[in-house]
Amino acid sequence: MRWSGADVQIEKTDFVAIPSQDAERAAAFYGETLGLRSDEHSQYEFWAGDICLGIWEPAKMGMEFQPSKNGHVAFHVPDVAAAREELEGKGVTFNGETFDTGVCHMALFEDPDGNDLMLHNRYAPYSGDSAA
Amino acid sequence: MQVEQVDFVAIPTQDLDRAIAFYRDVIELPQSPHATNEFEAGNVTLAIWKPEDLGYEFKDNGQGDVALRVPDVAAARAELEGKGIEFVGETLDTGVCQMAFFADPDGNSLTLHRRYRPREVGHGES
Repeated sequence: MRWSGADVQIEKTDFVAIPSQDAERAAAFYGETLGLRSDEHSQYEFWAGDICLGIWEPAKMGMEFQPSKNGHVAFHVPDVAAAREELEGKGVTFNGETFDTGVCHMALFEDPDGNDLMLHNRYAPYSGDSAA
Repeated sequence: MQVEQVDFVAIPTQDLDRAIAFYRDVIELPQSPHATNEFEAGNVTLAIWKPEDLGYEFKDNGQGDVALRVPDVAAARAELEGKGIEFVGETLDTGVCQMAFFADPDGNSLTLHRRYRPREVGHGES
């Protein structure tokens, strides 16, 4: 194994950063539109299971805003079609049709800042195949 | 709308072999038993993919850092620097946690993170 004492020793993922140009707008999206649980200590942090999404404004730290592209956070939902329909009813636009990869469904969308997200549900059991 | 968890975070690359080598050998995440392009970062899977293979223009994850928990940010940073990784600036101490910023070979933003202050008294960082 690679987990010897001197190694990097990554234990888990604490959070995924969500860059924003308007943290209030982003918080409304993650909290109300997506319905994620808000952190009890921070109005700009939201929990999806045991992962925290931390909204931040790069401009406030002197950095030029740049959305996260291709680094989709894949939200697990029990039914991609139903969740997509619900979000579309709230005005969320999806990018293309829902994919069926043969093992899972994926529906791609963006948050109001253009960060890439997806709804995801794997319906096939793991059996040595190669998709997420 | 019922989001149960995050199944994975996508990691875009322009060179699958290079990216796999980085996540496996440099930051030393366990490789998924199901897919060579997937790595287990504790509670979430990092899924490497090549946007160009699916007709998308390559872009990196921008400021969407994946914050990886390590027991000791300084030690992990020193270890990675010894492997040739360049960090962006000094390690940041926010008052509740330490963060050290770096990137994978495709420019995807990653953070070494350790919160040292209990959440009950802290504010604003996971």
